[in-house]
Amino acid sequence: MAGEAQCLSYAGCNFLRQRLVLATLSGRPLKIRKIRAKEEDPGLRDFEASFIRLIDKVTNGSRIEINQTGTTLYYQPGLLYGGSLEHDCSPSRSIGYYLESLLCLAPFMKHPLKIILRGVTNDQVDPSVDVLKATALPLLKKFGIDGEGLEIKINRRGMPPKGGGEILFACPVRKVLQPVQFTDPGKIKRIRGTAYSVRVSPQMANRMVESARSILNKFLPDIYIYTDHMKGVNSGKSPGFGLCLTAETINGTVLSAELASNPQGQGAAVLPEELGQNCAKLLLEEVYRGGCVDSTNQSLVLLLMTLGQRDVSKVLLGPLSPYTIEFLRHLRSFFQIMFKIETKTPEEEHMGGEKVLMTCVGIGFSNLSKTIR
Amino acid sequence: SSDSEFESASEKVAESKQHEINSEGTEMRSQISDHSLKRKAVLTTDSGNCTAEEASESEVENSSLNEGDDEEGSHDESEVEESNRKGIRDTEAKKSGRIKPTKFKSVEAEEDDVENLLREEEEYEEKIDFSADTTGALKWKEDLTQKAAEAFLRQQRSTPNLRKLVYGTAVEDEDQE
Repeated sequence: MAGEAQCLSYAGCNFLRQRLVLATLSGRPLKIRKIRAKEEDPGLRDFEASFIRLIDKVTNGSRIEINQTGTTLYYQPGLLYGGSLEHDCSPSRSIGYYLESLLCLAPFMKHPLKIILRGVTNDQVDPSVDVLKATALPLLKKFGIDGEGLEIKINRRGMPPKGGGEILFACPVRKVLQPVQFTDPGKIKRIRGTAYSVRVSPQMANRMVESARSILNKFLPDIYIYTDHMKGVNSGKSPGFGLCLTAETINGTVLSAELASNPQGQGAAVLPEELGQNCAKLLLEEVYRGGCVDSTNQSLVLLLMTLGQRDVSKVLLGPLSPYTIEFLRHLRSFFQIMFKIETKTPEEEHMGGEKVLMTCVGIGFSNLSKTIR
Repeated sequence: SSDSEFESASEKVAESKQHEINSEGTEMRSQISDHSLKRKAVLTTDSGNCTAEEASESEVENSSLNEGDDEEGSHDESEVEESNRKGIRDTEAKKSGRIKPTKFKSVEAEEDDVENLLREEEEYEEKIDFSADTTGALKWKEDLTQKAAEAFLRQQRSTPNLRKLVYGTAVEDEDQE
């Protein structure tokens, strides 16, 4: 698979995860040069090193070479192996950073992946575990990756800077993915959410719920926001609180928004009322952007469409995020696949902002490692 | 490609409509109301005897015009507008006489005004617009089509070609093949 494929070369530290994930799936070797070469602190950061270790864990036979300063990385992918694993994520990024990539790789393992990740469960940068649980899992199900084995479970919450959270991610394997036709998001049916608080007063969660509801109640009655206060060892090492909201449509589209408090000792203290209101507004913004997949999972859905059977897949998205745009370019270099991109004006769709209809024909990727039983 | 499909489909509908009109000239009024219902699908309102050859010819012309610049389009529209007003008066006289084939650009799901405008034709006839031959026709209605045309073109220009933005300019060429 790998030997004859041409090596791809990139410069710079951006989109490291995308590149490593796509290299692993396509089996093409990868070389990345000039990783923060001109900075005072050159080379790979600890969270990137941790990510590379994670990739090494889930694959078998990968060759990874990093030069002394860490500014050049050579990666020759092995086979995706899976199995029961554990990984300690760097606390400088949240588990979501690692989990996003694992979601892309997990369906194509030899053995179903069951991994325990430790670190920060919710932060202000990456999609939190709660959001990925609420949005990415329903998405995987649409591609035929479902069943008992698919779950994300939060055992312990950990807030930055110290972390101390723990999650379990399990995903079954599939030989082929189903093509999707996902062009009508439908109307919003209900809003769900989780207000979490650790090592602060449990009242914080209630205050967030109340303020978020004060905005959302005007739009629809079916709102339920769970409060999740974890205590003792389950509460991690740092205090904090936050809110995740998801809006579900009649056709099963899940749109999400989230906010978390500032980490201890960084920035001003955030009022839970303010955070709740802002998060509700972010959800409204996400609903306005719309589409059948929320902006966090745009690249995941495009990847799964690419790796589907040789059949046409369609998905309606909101405005493309910069990350997604770069992902499309990477998909072209790794899989020689280009999407048909059509803009849909709000007048045509009678709702929200501009939409983009993405169409592609799957490359007919099949999981070679999976034995047929 | 979807544009051209749509174009040819509606061309067919228009053609059949024209034949109908030919044979049943007396039922003109009912046709008109029929037209107003089907305006979205049938972009032409025509009472002409259009043969198949003429229709295909107009299509060819039309497609070449489509590729041309927007300037031409807006120019045509002002012509159309003029002919609108003229055409309405001699609609009745024309009904039995010879009629030019209608041409149009297909504009999916655009407002009717814009659709009107995008037709380019020497002697286009509008039958439904009664306000224009009334003496007290309102002033603001006069260049509605013009305004709509400008709005449409403005929007057309402002909508970026996303595929080009994502994959770069080189893609466009290989994509055409």
